[in-house]
Amino acid sequence: MIAGRLRFETSHATEFVDVTKLVRQEVHRSGLRTGRVHLQSLHTTLGLAINENEPLLLRDFQRLLERLAPGDAGYEHDDFARRFEITIDEPVNGHAHCRQLLFTGFATLLVEEGELVLGRWQSVFAVELDGPRHRELAMQLDGDFEPLSPTGRGRGSGAWASTDSELIEIELARQLMVDPDPVAVPMRRLMEAGGKRLRPKLVQLASQIGPRHDALRAASLAAAVELLHNATLVHDDYVDESTHRRGRPTVAAAEGAERAIAVGDYYFAKATRLIAEIGNIGVTSTMADALEAICAAQIDDVALRGAFPGDHDSYLRVVRGKTAALFAASCASGALLSEAPLDVVEALRRFGDLLGVAFQMADDMVDFSPSSGKPVGLDIRQKVLSLPLIYAAEDRSVGPEVRRLLAGSLGDEEVGRVTALVTSSDALQRVGDEARGLVDAAVRELESIELDGLRPTLVGIARSAVDRTA
Amino acid sequence: MNVQVLDRELDRLEGLWEQGLSDTYRSYLETVSDREPEVQPKLALAAALIEVGIRLQGLGGHAAPATTLLMGDLCLARASRLLADNATQAVQVAFAKAIEGLSAAAASGKPSRPVRELLVHVFSATA
Repeated sequence: MIAGRLRFETSHATEFVDVTKLVRQEVHRSGLRTGRVHLQSLHTTLGLAINENEPLLLRDFQRLLERLAPGDAGYEHDDFARRFEITIDEPVNGHAHCRQLLFTGFATLLVEEGELVLGRWQSVFAVELDGPRHRELAMQLDGDFEPLSPTGRGRGSGAWASTDSELIEIELARQLMVDPDPVAVPMRRLMEAGGKRLRPKLVQLASQIGPRHDALRAASLAAAVELLHNATLVHDDYVDESTHRRGRPTVAAAEGAERAIAVGDYYFAKATRLIAEIGNIGVTSTMADALEAICAAQIDDVALRGAFPGDHDSYLRVVRGKTAALFAASCASGALLSEAPLDVVEALRRFGDLLGVAFQMADDMVDFSPSSGKPVGLDIRQKVLSLPLIYAAEDRSVGPEVRRLLAGSLGDEEVGRVTALVTSSDALQRVGDEARGLVDAAVRELESIELDGLRPTLVGIARSAVDRTA
Repeated sequence: MNVQVLDRELDRLEGLWEQGLSDTYRSYLETVSDREPEVQPKLALAAALIEVGIRLQGLGGHAAPATTLLMGDLCLARASRLLADNATQAVQVAFAKAIEGLSAAAASGKPSRPVRELLVHVFSATA
């Protein structure tokens, strides 16, 4: 039995927070093969539900809740003159408690073959009814767990196992432990706040393909890639004037621009050193090329904000540099490390490139998802290149209004209107289709190469990278 | 030294070259005169890009505006690639450690050695 808590922040009064991915990560991390995950809300205004994560349906649910327990119906619970032991900040939330009666506070999910048993359209939601707040779900996992393997291949040959993820976390912790506090503390805060660790996973998986698999060297490279990725985020957040990332203040917001620049530089340098110390010329060169592509694309990205929202070609050019370059380099460098054949290295590089573009498209869609846990419309406010906005601006029906709004100053009202226009158009559908098409193309790149049983895991990662809303 | 060999390496940095990067580059050429002739310009440019990049970013001083920071980032990334393609492992590691030291000092608000002095020392220590 493993017990823990799922912690997250909500951002709206009523919000369907999709926690499927969080739960899935916990299952993978635990090594649970066959068993159950029990979830329990620790709040009287937070429910649980299993349903479809479709934005319009989630709005239907919200309207249903409003009809069944209107916010302004008058609740005895809110009559503070008649209540005892109320706190000074007692919320007016009788409606939220009544709405919670419509949900369950408990859920048990089945796990088979190390994966949650969910139907194609099923997602697990924590339903916020009185937000925004910090929320917790109690979680217990019981059943048959996979034994840890000293080889780092605990889930059978060729798969990315919980021990691999543990190796990355241990290596990251080890690296941060020896760094000076003024740089290590902000970076640790950023990395502990989450992150999907997709790039290091790709490194580790690809490093199992060739004849010279070395789990420790792969973990070292994977950790360096993750540090490099986070170093770019620290500078990006300063450039984008972002105040929060992964639910926490950015380094620039919390500690100032000067510190953010120093932290980014430190981990940029440290990552390149760790990569150089591995001593594989192909790996060093691949990662250096990727870093250069990222920086060049970031300059293009900012330059294109003058022509916001831009066009499809510009979008692809920027995204291939900003996001896909590191995905491609992660795949290729892992394979190079294991001395995989050149055709395999190049196929994996193309796989990573396509996956990276698809990942960014899915990330763009999250900006329009009220259940993502991120503030809706952030990309619009920051004038960040975003494919749904590009498609909405091209749309015959909503395009003229979208373009007019984006050309002006963007306050809350305008951002809300643009979000509504994008959501009402077929832009999100188009982006979703395009992202899935890219994943299909990425998967096809794997068909002609020998992957030592890794194909299902790589395909699974690719599919899950675009099938997300949180 | 023939600057044409650096054409590819100056892509997007032509403006900086005119604004002083070329002088910084020349100042490092002498430092690398003991290296293989074909890599001397690449190593000198890498060092110059690190010096100019850090200055552009405002590391250890006032933070640069966003667009200037990004140009500084590109300088560091280009330098990193030049080193990856042309320097020994020892030089790559030593340069990275130099930037780590400068960044850590900046984050701590402590003074550090002048960048050029530090980078020249890196070359001499790894000769």
